[in-house]
Amino acid sequence: MDDTKQSSSGLDFKLHPLVLINVSDHHTRVKANGVQQGDGGGRVLGCLLGNQDGRVVDVSNSFEILYKVTPEGIEIDQEFLVKKRDQYKQVFPKLDVVGWYATGADVHEHDMALHKKVMEINESPVFLLLDPAIRVLRKDIPVRLFESELHTVDGRPTFIFVQAKYTVETSEAERIGVNQVAKVLPSGNPSGSEQLTAHFSSVHAAMKMLNGRIGILLQLLDKMAAGELPYDHSLVRQVSTLVRRLPAVKTPAFQTEFLKEYNDSLLTILLSSITKGSYTVNEIVDKFNIAYDKSARRRGML
Amino acid sequence: MGESSTARARWELENNVQTDEVESYFRYDPAEQQAIQTQKPWTKDPNYYKHVRISALALLKMAMHAKSGGNLEIMGMLQGKVVGDTFIVVDAFALPVEGTETRVNAQAEAYEYLIDFAETNKRTGRLENMVGWYHSHPGYGCWLSGIDVGTQMTQQQYQEPFIAVVVDPHRTIAAGKVEIGAFRTYPEGYKPPDEGPSEYQTIPMNKIEDFGVHCKQYYSLDITYFKSAVDSHMLDLLWNKYWVNTLSSSPLLGTRDLMAGQVADIAEKLEAAEGQLAHSGRIGRFVAPGDKKGNGNDQQLLKICRDASKLSVEQIKGVSSQVIKDLLFNPAPLLTNGNAPAPMEL
Repeated sequence: MDDTKQSSSGLDFKLHPLVLINVSDHHTRVKANGVQQGDGGGRVLGCLLGNQDGRVVDVSNSFEILYKVTPEGIEIDQEFLVKKRDQYKQVFPKLDVVGWYATGADVHEHDMALHKKVMEINESPVFLLLDPAIRVLRKDIPVRLFESELHTVDGRPTFIFVQAKYTVETSEAERIGVNQVAKVLPSGNPSGSEQLTAHFSSVHAAMKMLNGRIGILLQLLDKMAAGELPYDHSLVRQVSTLVRRLPAVKTPAFQTEFLKEYNDSLLTILLSSITKGSYTVNEIVDKFNIAYDKSARRRGML
Repeated sequence: MGESSTARARWELENNVQTDEVESYFRYDPAEQQAIQTQKPWTKDPNYYKHVRISALALLKMAMHAKSGGNLEIMGMLQGKVVGDTFIVVDAFALPVEGTETRVNAQAEAYEYLIDFAETNKRTGRLENMVGWYHSHPGYGCWLSGIDVGTQMTQQQYQEPFIAVVVDPHRTIAAGKVEIGAFRTYPEGYKPPDEGPSEYQTIPMNKIEDFGVHCKQYYSLDITYFKSAVDSHMLDLLWNKYWVNTLSSSPLLGTRDLMAGQVADIAEKLEAAEGQLAHSGRIGRFVAPGDKKGNGNDQQLLKICRDASKLSVEQIKGVSSQVIKDLLFNPAPLLTNGNAPAPMEL
């Protein structure tokens, strides 16, 4: 199995965090409950759901499948898979089976057989391998995506796995959900200023990340300029495109819209401040009324 | 060197203790749950259950499902178990039901699907039973409507322990956090102690009647979240690929409709309050200070005030990210002026 081989299909895979959490949950659950399927050693299998639009494959959901280990290899419960797929189809009609997942550190010897099984449902499925082991030093998501390609090995055409590139994609609601569970976990309902602080700290973290990445790039370019590193033309070209894209939007039309938006927000904030002010004034008037009224009555009594 | 290794060991110890506890949420003991079923602790105290712990997975699934429904209400079921006075929600799944308020109780339609789904789930090692249902209230906050109260009451009669969870996808985007509430109804005829409002929420004008009539029939549970060790590891790593989304999101543009709706709602409420005030009149209150009606009006104004503050917090958030982005990626004109964009004269 050659890991270095890159996919040449040119497909663009977009992976949603929900899938990762789903797979990791499946793994944790099976481990915690001690339900072993055959002697798979706690390995879990499942199907990936998503949709393909042109060259872009969006992997947005997943479900578990059953399998058992037989002397010939691993056998998946095809009937169960189809049933599950139909169930998901009812709720999310746009999602199709785009591939399958498994947990483990590396590709298993039987995996190609499984891959071929999934091919009966989707002609070119993608295989997601998630490594559930926790390694402190790891910087990347422990997930690899594989596609199958037909290659000639020893004069015979054989399917082999080739690694595919992927990006992490989120919808807005997903982003907020992930942020909430990843960062501000224990707090149930933060108040207004806490919300604002959380928002700013996440923006700050993102900016720090951006700064860090730019720093690394700068270092690399410096070293290249000094001749310490080989000159990487394609990288420099990418950097140059990036730099040329700044400023991102600088047209009078954008400026007008931007300022309009800005002013609208300020207006809303002003209005709500006025509302708050009028409430406070109302309070004071009431209190004054009570105080004034009491003293008047007392004077009358005297 | 030695010091750092002991610190490290302690850190690991502390973390392991925590994950052990969380790990127990993923374990399912049928006998234990059966014992709870026979004891029925919830019959003794209508307030028996107080907390809900929701897994990262369930939260994400609910948030995404609610969002995918758009302006339609969606619903689904929650799977999990109970431990003491706490519901542990480990997973959620969607039901093929969507529609308006009147249709989201159409459980009969989905019943077959539900049973089938739960049965197939069990075979994949998801042993937990259903402990509740969730549905969405797009844009009008997390509370139970009259129909929801009815549904939940029936469920609590036949399928205890059971909770109702409500998610608001629109406000989730506006607030930048998942707007979610968990509720249980009181048994019929139960008079809850007159407690102050637990947590204030914005209810739109056209729903306020429905809210007011039923709001004393249920109570809300305190929600916290949990994640497994693998989950948190994954989420931490996810952040490395993920920060771009924080910068590229634009809460202001995404929630324009909701914001405009909220401003209109506040205006409507203000008008209503003013109308009432004109009726009773300041003079009337001057003569008889501190009477009940006056207090009612103050309460109203206070509520409106809270709505307005909430709206402005969201606006500040949105506009500040816009300005930050502008400063980051559109630097030229602003930096030369040396100022943030000044309000333009329109």
